[in-house]
Amino acid sequence: MKLGVFVNQYSQSNSTLDRIKTDNLGIILVQNGVYHAALKEDGKASSLLSKGTVYALSEDLVSRGLALDKLDSKVKVVDYNGLVDVIFNDYEKFIWL
Amino acid sequence: MIKKLLFLVDKLPYKAENSRLALTHAIASQTVEIHLEDEDNVEPVLAFVGEGVLNCIKGQKSLDAYGITSLEGHIKNALLLDLKVMVCKEDLKKFGLTEDSIIMDAEDIGGDMLTNVLPFADILNEMEVADHILHF
Amino acid sequence: MGKLAIGCFSSLVGSMSLDFAIKLSEAAINKGHQVDIWLSGNATMLSKKGQRKFQDYSALEAKTKDLITKGLNVTACEACAESRGYHKEDTLEGFKRKSMDYYLASCFNSDRVIHIGGE
Repeated sequence: MKLGVFVNQYSQSNSTLDRIKTDNLGIILVQNGVYHAALKEDGKASSLLSKGTVYALSEDLVSRGLALDKLDSKVKVVDYNGLVDVIFNDYEKFIWL
Repeated sequence: MIKKLLFLVDKLPYKAENSRLALTHAIASQTVEIHLEDEDNVEPVLAFVGEGVLNCIKGQKSLDAYGITSLEGHIKNALLLDLKVMVCKEDLKKFGLTEDSIIMDAEDIGGDMLTNVLPFADILNEMEVADHILHF
Repeated sequence: MGKLAIGCFSSLVGSMSLDFAIKLSEAAINKGHQVDIWLSGNATMLSKKGQRKFQDYSALEAKTKDLITKGLNVTACEACAESRGYHKEDTLEGFKRKSMDYYLASCFNSDRVIHIGGE
């Protein structure tokens, strides 16, 4: 299953996401979810970043004053145009957390 | 052609309307054919996981307390209409619930379908085979 | 090119999820895709006439109407709208009002479905 998971929250963990096992998982950070791409807590990066291929929406990063060149190296930054391509080309089903 | 839509519910009832809208939309499948070509239809499947299993507790009295229909009533309607309803076995256990605690049938309103209490792995299989997932 | 269905149940003001839905729709339409937006729950407020634009709040009416002229299909849940006091005469031109089965049909006919829950 090619599953794209939109993460729009920062602080809450989600048990549904923790239990999903699939070969092709995309984590798409939008809205407050983009903080996962930019912040470390106690020096540790978000555990979300190791769950799959990670994208972060540039418009939501810049809105929050998060520098695009200071993100975790695992994160691919996309704008809305790039996100459309991710949706149509890379994944088939989506959930929104 | 039949397309399967999985309604995945993991949120608590009443304070927010997510789970209520999941149920009402799934039940709306009864009339979707009017918008589709001949021979096309939608097969809705409801899956309650995580905190979402708490929607399934029986004995809900929201009508008395707030004058609104209960999620229990909607779940029973879903069963009456032969919609597949799945509840995560592990999450029921986590919350100390058993099949006796939740809505397992709609016999009192003439329904034959039973709620399926299943491991999360089975629900994940349903996500795999669904054409689209609507996560409420 | 493909078709995207977006179901958004979030409030117009106080949540940025409708902004997300509209901006994503714009990008998709500009790339030649078709987009259906289904508004249910609090998102039906996007369909209401008389929205006033302030810098401090999401103002999506003008953009949405522009996208409708470019082919965006926006439909509000009639029951959700009516329960909130939005009647047919309150509905912005170009916005449809249908029952919930319409969203299911939209999902059936779409290549990709993004369901954004309520907030």
